[in-house]
Amino acid sequence: METVLQGKSATIKMAVVTLLARGHLLIEDIPGVGKTTLAFALAKSIDCSFRRIQFTSDLLPSDILGITMFNQETRSFEFREGPIFSNIVLADEINRTNPKTQSALLEAMNEKKVSIEKNTLLLPDPFMVIATQNPIEYQGTFPLPESQLDRFMLHLTIGYPTPEYEKQAVLMQDSFSLLEDLQPVLSRQEIVGMQREVDSVFCEDSVVDYLMKIVAATRDHPAIRLGASTRSAQFFLKAVKAHAFCEGRDFILPDDVKQLAPLVLAHRIILKTRKYLADAEMLVREMLEKIPVPM
Amino acid sequence: MPTLYKLLTALLALTGCAGLLLTGEISLMMSSGAVALIPGYYRFFLGRQPAPVYVIGLLSIIELIIFLVDATVITGDVFIAVAHLTIAFQALKSFDLKEPWDNLQVYFVSLLQLIIASELTSSLVFGGVFVVFLMVLVAAMVLSHFLKEGDREAGLMRKPVYLISGLTLLMTCLFFVLLPRTPYRFLGKSHLKNIHTTGFSEQVDFASLGSITLDPAVVMRVEMEKDIPGPFYWRGHTLDHFDGITWKNELPRSRIRKQAGEFLIAPYQAEQTVEQLITLEPMDSEILFGLSEIRGIKADSFFLLADSAGDPSMPGKTSRRVRYTVNSLLADRLPGEARDRYLQLPAGNQRIAGLAAALVRNVRGNELKAKALEEHLKRGYLYSLTIDAPARGVSPVEDFLFRTKKGYCEHYATAMVLMLRSLGIHARVVTGFLGGDRNSYGDYIIVRRSNAHSWVEALIDGNWRRYDPTPAVVLERSGNVLLFWDSVAMYWARHVVGFSPADQKALFGGLRTGLLKLSYHFPAVKIPSIAAGLYYAALLIIVITLVFVCLVLIRRRAGRVSALTASYVRVRKALSARGLTVTRSTTSGELSAQAQTFPFHEGLSKFLEHYNARRFGRAGADTSFPGGIAPVLKQIRKK
Repeated sequence: METVLQGKSATIKMAVVTLLARGHLLIEDIPGVGKTTLAFALAKSIDCSFRRIQFTSDLLPSDILGITMFNQETRSFEFREGPIFSNIVLADEINRTNPKTQSALLEAMNEKKVSIEKNTLLLPDPFMVIATQNPIEYQGTFPLPESQLDRFMLHLTIGYPTPEYEKQAVLMQDSFSLLEDLQPVLSRQEIVGMQREVDSVFCEDSVVDYLMKIVAATRDHPAIRLGASTRSAQFFLKAVKAHAFCEGRDFILPDDVKQLAPLVLAHRIILKTRKYLADAEMLVREMLEKIPVPM
Repeated sequence: MPTLYKLLTALLALTGCAGLLLTGEISLMMSSGAVALIPGYYRFFLGRQPAPVYVIGLLSIIELIIFLVDATVITGDVFIAVAHLTIAFQALKSFDLKEPWDNLQVYFVSLLQLIIASELTSSLVFGGVFVVFLMVLVAAMVLSHFLKEGDREAGLMRKPVYLISGLTLLMTCLFFVLLPRTPYRFLGKSHLKNIHTTGFSEQVDFASLGSITLDPAVVMRVEMEKDIPGPFYWRGHTLDHFDGITWKNELPRSRIRKQAGEFLIAPYQAEQTVEQLITLEPMDSEILFGLSEIRGIKADSFFLLADSAGDPSMPGKTSRRVRYTVNSLLADRLPGEARDRYLQLPAGNQRIAGLAAALVRNVRGNELKAKALEEHLKRGYLYSLTIDAPARGVSPVEDFLFRTKKGYCEHYATAMVLMLRSLGIHARVVTGFLGGDRNSYGDYIIVRRSNAHSWVEALIDGNWRRYDPTPAVVLERSGNVLLFWDSVAMYWARHVVGFSPADQKALFGGLRTGLLKLSYHFPAVKIPSIAAGLYYAALLIIVITLVFVCLVLIRRRAGRVSALTASYVRVRKALSARGLTVTRSTTSGELSAQAQTFPFHEGLSKFLEHYNARRFGRAGADTSFPGGIAPVLKQIRKK
């Protein structure tokens, strides 16, 4: 993956962390910095099916979930799976579509199954949604409500690459052909196994306390209207465990907590004044500097 | 150094010095150095540099010289001089606090000060000072321990400090109950200031006349079993011999027979007597007081003496507080023997004898004669505390009777006795106290020095009868607040300073009775005897101590983690000294990242890895760290 998305190893790592923690990823960034490339590369390297849904204002829930059609030959109704039935789903520009479609996707994300008419269909395992959002254009968009933002485990920004990497990217051949060349490094089963291992990562009490302190701090900060929820804390610990696992440890460290806190918490808190995610992220970082790390 | 720690050190030094100063026994001039504590600790708080070594050294030598002069010349008492020295030391030390060891010195010296102070006083205020001292000392010790361990988290420290302070207080209380106070003092000699009563003295001396101030200091406190009407004549001493200037007691004294734990002056029936529990303040006197007429005494003494007038006294003078129980027979007249000594008259008594004869010219019978003399003195003379010294060669009694016609109780009593004796009636002067305030807060009577009194006893028809020729004087009563405070002080003296084996027995006895009452409902429970109870209590203390020690030991074992944390803290400090940003919110990963470019990075990251695995990893993980932390630290510190 490093070859297709150069200079962004931290972002890639966080994407892997989300995958291992069975979470979903929200990428907020301007177009053209590699959001799609990231999602596609991730899917390719773990031998998983990948679908991309471009969210537009006229997209319907059935465009995502699938529809039931009448088959003339068998003379029965048949279900045609929508694009959501794949391991990794890229929901591009999720804030462009209407709330109805948004919530159809988000419900599927949360429950990992789809209910259509009387049938309940399980989504494949592993399942991960990578949603992207454009923070600049607000015209004609439907910003995700807070309750739905809460379902994304991590929130990332990719940002412009550094000049040297950017130059390389400009000179290099088309990234899509590079993607085609990517070989899977892990099988689907291995990913599922690793997800189980993440669950058994050891959490020392004082580190969990540290995590809870950070979560609690978002609740009584003067600049925050609404702090992080209990589900946030659950997601937070899961992500921390996955991060520790990625670092090759079977126990979590305050370092894991501190590194993930802005990514996990920033989109879950509502500020009193400004509404950009970057502001919330700054605020969380400021808060972290005030909370003593367990020794 | 945390501010809390500084504060505790300052507080300890101040409590130590305050404890000494509050005793009021040490010279204010010699301990004026204590003033220097304020600027000393002010500088300490501001974190200023300690005073230069040569100044401290010079002052120490001066201090030592002053101590030697003090011990030999100024106060002449090594004990008091040491007290002065400790104050000077504290003052000097406040300018010279550099290392943790200096703080420990302050603790030690303040402890010494409190021990000295405990020798000098037994007042209630000192008890308060001591409790404050105990709490602060324990807190400071715990804190200094934590500082050594390297755990600087205030929140972590506060809990054990409170816990251990509370535990110490509990243990102190237990020891307090288990170990009753004995009459023997810690350092052998008592340094209590001898109290000389202005009102009462063992001999009445008219040569040292002058103005007498009414001293409100308490002489004794009396708890009475019965409510009896006054006036209370607290009999102290009988005086039989007067040489014209001084009254003396020359009565033969003998040991009192002890019977069933009670010193019996004369046999009595319990229902006829009044029992009084008396707490006598230190008076530097051997006399024991009680309502007239004392029959039996229960006191914590090997033997007691009594003179032929029946006045008990201790074998020697004591400067201690004394507690004893007296049984007195309150009777109008008591049979007595006529002895010649009660007719002794000083030379040159003719004028007084003449006056006496003139006063009773028309009176028949000794009883009426005595009454007439008493009436005459009561009516014709003024009570006054300011008496001019008589002209040279003039008897003070004659001066009182014929010239000034003003005097106080001793003048009246002396004049009456001399007149009675000149008439051939056996008579003697009795000194002691009259009356006292009833303190309703503790239901006891306070007798003050200003209650000192002398009266007359005359032998009429084979019975000693009491006459009081002094006109009644109204004394001001103390306010309620003072009475309440006195009752607190009484309680303190009685139940804390004077917690005796008997009190202990009573306490356990009471506890046992309560348990017995309770066990009535639970027949299966057996209540141990007092001795067994004491045994169990001792056992309890031992068990608590053992458990505490075990806990400490277990903590030590588990403390390997905390030792690891301590080395981590040391590494952090060293890194901070090398210019890295190390705050409370800095994680080990951030440290490692900051140290990327330093040569010690490799060793450091190995240590951090080890630390993380041991501190946050699963227990029992194989994580040895060969070489230890010392080389890592050395590497970091090497420029």
